[in-house]
Formats: sequence, structure tokens, C-alpha cells
Amino acid sequence: MTTVTSRPGEPGADAPEQPRRIPARRKQTPQQALRKSVLYAALIVLALIVILPLVWILLTSFKTDGDAIRNPYSALPNPFSFDAYATIANGQQPVFRWFLNSLAAAALQSVIILVTASLAAYALARLEFVGKRIVFGLIVATLLVPPVIFLIPNYLIVQNLGWLDSIWAITIPGAASAFGVFFLRQFFVGLPQEIEEAARIDGAGDLRIFLQIVIPLARPALATLAVLSFLANWNDFLWPVYVLLSPENLTLQPGLSQLQGAYSTHFAIVMAGAVVASVPVLILFFFAQKQIVESVATSGVKG
Amino acid sequence: MATDTDSLVAPRETGAPRPRGSARSARSTRSARAAARRPGGRRRTGVAYLFLAPFLVLFLVFVLAPAVFGLWISLTNWSPFRATQSFVGLKNYIELFTPGSTTSGDFWQSMLATGIFTVASVPFLLLVPLLVAVLLNQRIRAGSFFRATFFAPYVLGVAVIGVIWKYLLDTQSGIVNHVLGMIGLPDNLPWTVDVPWAWITLVGVTVWWTMGFNTVIILAGLKGISADLYEAAALDGAGAFRQFVSVTLPGLRQVMTFVVTITILASANMFGQSFLLTKGGPGNTTRTAIMYIADQGLSQNNMAAASAMSYVLFAFLAIISIVNFRLQRERAEKSAS
Amino acid sequence: MKKRFAVRAVAAAVTVGLGLALTACGSNSGSGGSEVSSGDYTGPKVTISFWNGWTGGAAPVLVPKLIDKFNSEHKNIVVKDVPMQWSDIGQKMPLAVKAGKGPDVAVGHGDDIATYAAQGLVLKADSIVKSLGYSASDFPAGLMDAGKYNGAQYAVPWSVTPLGLYVNKDVLQKAGVDPSSIPADKTSYEAALAKLKTAGVQGEWVDGYVFTGTFEFESLLWQYGGDLFDKPVTKATFNSDAGVKALTWMTDLIKNGYSPANVAQDGNINALIAGKTAFNWNGVWQTTNTAFGKLNWQAVAVPQIGTQKAVWSSSTHWMFMNNKGQDKNKTAAAATFVKWMNDNSADWPKTGELPAKNSVRDDPKLVKDYPALKPFLDELPYAHYEATAPGITSVEATITTAVNEAVTGKKSPKQALDDAVAKANALIKQNKDTYGN
Repeated sequence: MTTVTSRPGEPGADAPEQPRRIPARRKQTPQQALRKSVLYAALIVLALIVILPLVWILLTSFKTDGDAIRNPYSALPNPFSFDAYATIANGQQPVFRWFLNSLAAAALQSVIILVTASLAAYALARLEFVGKRIVFGLIVATLLVPPVIFLIPNYLIVQNLGWLDSIWAITIPGAASAFGVFFLRQFFVGLPQEIEEAARIDGAGDLRIFLQIVIPLARPALATLAVLSFLANWNDFLWPVYVLLSPENLTLQPGLSQLQGAYSTHFAIVMAGAVVASVPVLILFFFAQKQIVESVATSGVKG
Repeated sequence: MATDTDSLVAPRETGAPRPRGSARSARSTRSARAAARRPGGRRRTGVAYLFLAPFLVLFLVFVLAPAVFGLWISLTNWSPFRATQSFVGLKNYIELFTPGSTTSGDFWQSMLATGIFTVASVPFLLLVPLLVAVLLNQRIRAGSFFRATFFAPYVLGVAVIGVIWKYLLDTQSGIVNHVLGMIGLPDNLPWTVDVPWAWITLVGVTVWWTMGFNTVIILAGLKGISADLYEAAALDGAGAFRQFVSVTLPGLRQVMTFVVTITILASANMFGQSFLLTKGGPGNTTRTAIMYIADQGLSQNNMAAASAMSYVLFAFLAIISIVNFRLQRERAEKSAS
Repeated sequence: MKKRFAVRAVAAAVTVGLGLALTACGSNSGSGGSEVSSGDYTGPKVTISFWNGWTGGAAPVLVPKLIDKFNSEHKNIVVKDVPMQWSDIGQKMPLAVKAGKGPDVAVGHGDDIATYAAQGLVLKADSIVKSLGYSASDFPAGLMDAGKYNGAQYAVPWSVTPLGLYVNKDVLQKAGVDPSSIPADKTSYEAALAKLKTAGVQGEWVDGYVFTGTFEFESLLWQYGGDLFDKPVTKATFNSDAGVKALTWMTDLIKNGYSPANVAQDGNINALIAGKTAFNWNGVWQTTNTAFGKLNWQAVAVPQIGTQKAVWSSSTHWMFMNNKGQDKNKTAAAATFVKWMNDNSADWPKTGELPAKNSVRDDPKLVKDYPALKPFLDELPYAHYEATAPGITSVEATITTAVNEAVTGKKSPKQALDDAVAKANALIKQNKDTYGN
């Protein structure tokens, strides 16, 4: 338990410009010190609840099969073994390939969403046209519809397009993002129009205004949409389970489910798969976490 | 707001939230119309549809058409192994409401499972992130480290979470039971095998997985509350709890509306956790509506019945959304008056 | 210099190409395109995809080896191995075949065939079977017929996988039960369980899942003289007295303290390996479980708890899929592949499955190489295979629900079985409507 002294005026790691408490206390009272300790303790406990399971999984992945079943409660592998990883690498469960597939699909869909939604949002925010109310109304209406409505009909459509077992099946159908259009439209509407009007007077066309004025101003909203779209596709489970067939075309989520099914109680192997699926993601996340977390954070405040 | 790109046309499990903002949309269409009446606002239909075209093509093919197509399927006896389908009217829907038919028992059991999970999970998915956000909002060091740590499980994906926790909660080999045994509690709890443990598992794992997402959004909302309000309340003699109730909560109203809506919808659409952790067991007690509909439609090839079920679920969720929206509006109006 | 090299390279390529084309044309005079009935495929080079559910045990190593050997011996056929879970095949294959993205050849279980045949997903295999020279007497009784639907043959039997009793001999020894005489009937089995209980060991952990609670229940049902369905599969009969007796015997294991309640999926085999229990009813495929390691274990025939000898067994069969726009050459190549696999199946027991072909099984060399399999081989004369009727797998799911509900104490065995039979009969009727006669 650490006692933390807070010096007045010194901001915390992520405290904003404005201080939270009544300022100008010269020294910290024991009561305040206790509060701080409890606070840190609580946060550390919570952080451990997140981290410890992952550590346990990592340790298990280095056990041999028999060891994992016979001694499930011992923390240290005995013997320390890469057998589980060897099985993953040599077997029919290409976990790293699944990771790459997920990466490609999520990236592709995010790009398509950003492009199509921003173009559509601009039209809805800045242009007057016949049928504007209907189009916008339809888009908003579909926000209320649960995804399962589209499951079977889209399956039949994708099947007829010949897209089963391909990356198109898991990226194109979901690329029509009514939410994306709605979210960006709200944002565009909130942008001041003076610069655009000035450019229009200068003779710039809509596309130029869109590309050179609106898009640069919309960067935070676009980043948010990109992050959210990426995470949504990354997390997609039900749809890929049904439309992806060959083992090498699977993405991470259905793939891991299949790994679990194939090796159900060979815990070391399943955990090794989970580790291979998690480590690259976590590395990417910790490099980009500030951007990612802040993008998600602003989604609730802006929208 | 979270993207629901995939959620709109392809199902997702809880945790990838979806937005609601109907109140805001009304305001913004008004402002849009006002903008159009400004000098220089003239109709540019052709250009507009060029901008809309890429989106509209995808939207028509993968959102509007399927919605109508699905409704059509639900009114037929659709079978993928037959060349022609015949119209059967409301037969599929009637069967869902007829006790004793082949689908109604299972369907309503799965709706009940969805209901139980939603009611059980939403409070925790709101309170825990709220508490954690309040903790993170204090003046602390390494705040962004904690924030990132709490968010991290969300980026792992539902399958990793399911696989990990299925092992950790295994009745015989899982470490959770072992730790419980060490502190004197029963060490053979059937976390993934029997109810009510399975419900606790599903809710608990969902909270562990997605808590960070809601936390981060609420935290941003907290930061948006002006410190002056807290000062004023403190000067009036309000203690920490009073400040929380009269400054924090009202200040979070807009954000919480958003978070409540996306959380309810995410829970109602839960699939992955049940599929991976309990496989819908024991029996079919934890088999959610989405699990059942997907199985019936795409594995058992009962496409017509499954389509009808999805529209019934839609109706339920629509009613809940409308009620929720009305309640929020009433509360907002009450506090404004 | 570069130009001359290029010319030479092109010339070489053309020569090689011509050579390949000439050899691929085949030396078989008079066969323009190949028909399904010819013994060996001699048409142009094709790649065929092969879906199977062999994802566990030794199969992930053995199957690719076999396929590689086949590919190297057959210059005009490339077999692509596509393994996925059995349940996934059942989920995905029908619609994939309908879309033209299914496999050319697949392995499925006996209860899948009639469904696929009724859905028009499988090609008739009568001529293939004839050209392979197979007849029903080449396989265990009734197995060939599992692939029959509406009078036509749709599948070729490949393997059988009966249930057995796995024993942890150290646990038995410690509890004072003689490990060299493993119980084979009700009295001695229950006596052993009682002895284990006094030594503080729960002797047989019973679970409520397909693997293996359902298999154990079905074995007991047949042992008590009952059956799952009537002969023409028009109604479910597993809630008969025999069924109630069978399921009650299982729930009594929990009641008498021989099994914990709420055993997790695969919790029992893990407990056996970890030395927490003595007996586990499990399939022959577990003989290749690497987690056994140095465990002192043995597998024997399941004890006869009921009035007659009976044991559950599954069977796998080859099927030639009828994809949208199915290429005849690919089917012919698939037939060659199946024949080759059948001829080279002596090593198949390595995967923990017993070859279906009698001659391969009866070869004394097999028992010599795989002595652990002998008890399973001896069970085959009284093994029961799956019921076959279109849509039967959805009906079978009700059995598992009943077993699960009874084992987890949610319903009494009789109630659980009665409810399941009601559901099963409704589904059977629905299947008849969907699939016709």
C-alpha cells in the first residue's frame, strides 16, 4: 500500500486541465492519504483481475498435455515444453494465418466503411436533394433493426454471389454502415460552414470541398469510426462461422472455436492457440492504445 | 458511438455496442433543413446521389433487400433444397405462438434465456464501468495505464475470451475452483455445466470482457462535467455521495443514455459467450435466441421458421427501444422543467 | 546471349508442356472423358477437395501422410485435405454443396447419409461400389445398408468406432480392486464401484453430453432390450422401460455417490488421466490420446449391465458429393481415391478407428500391431450402429437433451425421456413432411 502525496496544481497522469477537487490544500490529510491508498488498491486489484487470468493461460501453454491435465493447479510448467506450440504450428489449425485473415478483413471493411459512409454523410449533411428525407429516414430506421434479421437472407445472397469461403463474404455485407453514415453526418453538421462557403464562392466543386476541407476537419471522427469498425469486424463471430468453410480461410474467432472443439481437453494446446491469437493483438493494442481508447471514448460524447 | 457495421447485416455478440440517437437525429434534421434554407442552398440532386451511390449500392443489396427478403422468407415454407417455394402466409408466426409445435417451445425458451441474460447482465455492465470510471477519474498516476489495461480484454475478441474462461472455469481442471477451495469455499462448482452457475459465468465473463469499453466512454463523460459544479456543490455543504448524486449522475445523463441503449442491445444479441462457454447448456437453458435462430436457419435449414423468429425478436427489441426512448425523454423533460 | 537463352527456355517449356499433355491424355484408349464406373481415373489432371472430421488424436499427422502418398502415386489427381470438426461439417456442408463450394468427396457418419441423400447432396454410388467390388458381406452386418436411401446406395463404409471401458489400473489397485480382472457384468462392476467408494474414489463419472453420456445411455438401452426408434423410424421408442432403466442406472451412479454431479464436458476422461476415477466409458478413438502418457491404463469391452450384450458404435462412410455443377472427372478421381484409401487402410487403426472392411480387420497382423484394439474388435458382433433416416440427427439431439436433463437432476429419467420422445416424434413427423417418403 503506497501513500501518495499529491501536490496541489500537479495534474494526475490523465487528469485534464481542470482540477477535480477543492484546490489549494497545502498538505494531505491522513484521511486523504487513506483515500488515495484505497483508490490505488482498488485499481490494482482490478488490474490484477484482468492480468492474472492471461498470465495463467500463458503458463499453461508451456505445459505438456499430460501435465496440464494431471497438475492443473500448479503454476509452473513441469516440464517446460513447446509441444503445444509445435502442434499448433504443424497441425491443421493455422492460428497465425487466422490472425492475418482477421487483420485483412477488419482493415478492408474499415476502409470501405470510411469511404462510403463519409461520402454519404457529406451528401446528407451539406446537400439538398430530392428524396433526402426518405434516404435519411431509411438509414436511421435500419439502426433499430437487430442483426439477426439479416442473417439468413444475406447468407442466401452471399451464397448466390459465390462469395462463400472468401474474404468478400465477411467484409462486403457489413460494409454498409448505417451507423457510420449517421455518426459522420452528425459530425459534419456540427462543422462550421464558413470555410466551405468561401471555397464554394471561389468556385470549388463539392468533391474538392469534401476532400480538401471537410475530411481533414473530420479526422477525429473518422479515426473513431475506423477504430469502431475495425473492432466490430475483428469481434465478428456468428457470421464467419457460417460463411467461412476451409480451415485456412477462417478468421480468428471461428478458428479458435474450432481449435477448442478439436482439442477440447488438451488444455495446453488450446491455450497455446489462445496465446498466439492474443499476443499480436495485444502488442498492436499497446502501441496504439491511446488513440484507440480515446476514439472509443469520444464516440459516446460526440454522438 | 460504436460501429455496428457488421451488426447491421451480420450478427455479432455482445460487447460491440450499437448506437441510439433518435433524439439527436430529430434535432439535426431540423438544423439541416435550416441550413438548406440559407442563401446558397439549392438542390443538387445529381451530385448528391453520386456521393451517396457507393453507400447506397451496398445498403440496397445488403440491408434493404435482405430485410424485405427475410420477411418474404418468413411468409413461405422456404427450403434451400427445393427449387420453388410456396407462400404460406402467417403460418410460421402462428406456429411460434402455438404451444406444442416443433419450434415454439424451443423458441420461447431461447427468448427466456436471452431475457434472463439481459436482465442479469445490464446492471453489472453499467454499474461496474461507472464505478471504475469514477475511480479512474480521480487524480492518480498511471491513469492511462489502468485505462488501457481495463480496455485490453475487449480487443482480444470473443473467441479468445470464451476459450480462456472455459478453461479457467472448468469444474475439475480450472484454477478458479482451486482458488475458491483454497479460501474455504466449495471447490467443485459447475461453472459451465449447470444453472445458476452458468448464468453467473455468462454475466461475469461478459463483464470482464467488455467492462473496459463502457468504462472508457463513461470516463470521457465524467471528464466533460465541469469542476465548477463540484465546487458549487461542495460549497453548499454536499459530501462526496451527495455530489455524486446531484452533479455526476445528471451530468452523465446523455452518455449514460447512450451506454444503456448499446448495452441492452448487445446483451439481447448475445451469442458467442453461450456458444463457447456453455454450449447452451444445461439442456438448452442458456441457449439464447440468436443461437437458436442461427442453428435453425443455417444448420437445420429451417429458414422460414428462423426468419419468422428473427422478426419476432425484432418486434420485442423495438418495443423495448421505444419504451426506453420514451422513458429517457420523460426523464429529460422532467429534469428540464 | 539473353535472346538465345530465352528461346531455349521457351522451347524447353513447350517440350515439357507437350510431354505433360501427352501423358495426361492417358494411355487408356477409347476413354475421352472418364466415367464414374472405371476403376482407375485416367482423365486430365484434377484437384479434388476432401472434407473430413479427423482433427484430433493421431489423425492430423496420419491423414496428411496418407494423402501425400496418394498424391505422389497419382500424377493426375491432387487431393486437398480439408479437416474441420464433425459438427461443422454437418452445419456447413449442405449449403456449401448447394452453392457449388462443397467437397468432391467427404466422410460422414452413418446417420448423416440419408439426410444428405434426401437433400440431393450426394451422388448415387451403386456403380462405384460395384467397380470397387464391394458387397454388403464385406462389412459388418447392416453397415452397407446405412448408406442406402430409397433403394439406391449412396455411401461406402470406411470405419467403425465402438464404445469401450477405459480403466485406470493404478486407481483400482489402490482401492483394493484386482486390476487384472476388470468387471464385465453388472454385479462385479457395481461391486467394484462400491469398493472404490469406500476407498474414497468416485469410480465412474457420468456426464450429460453427447461425448459420452449419450453413447453410454444408448449402449445401456440396447443392453436392456430396448431401441431408439422402431424399425421404419416412424416413432421414437427410447422412453420404454428399457430406456428408463438405462437412464436411471446412470443417474443412480450419482445418487449412490459413484459419480459427482455436474461433470463437465470431458471431465471424466480427464479425471481418469488425473487418477481421480477408475472407469470411463469412451470411444475407441481415445486409445490414441497422447495425454495418457505413462498412465497405467487398459481398455476393455463395456460391461454388460443389462440383460444382453450390446454396445454403441458409430460408423464413417465415404460420400461423393453432388455439388452444383459437379465435375464428372473430379468424381471419378474421388472414386479412385476412395478405392486407394480402402486398399491402404492397414494403418488406419493408428487413428483410433477400426477399418470397416472385414478383411482388413480380420487380418491377424492388425491385432498384432495394435493389441489395444482387440477388445473393441471383439465387441463388433453385438455393436449397434446409428439409425438412418432423413433428418435423423435433429431427432437424436433430443436424446442428448434428455440425458443432460436427467444427469443434471433437472428432471426424473422418466420425465426427461417422455418429454424427449414427444419432441422426437414431432420432429420425425416434420422430417417426413420435409423429405417425403
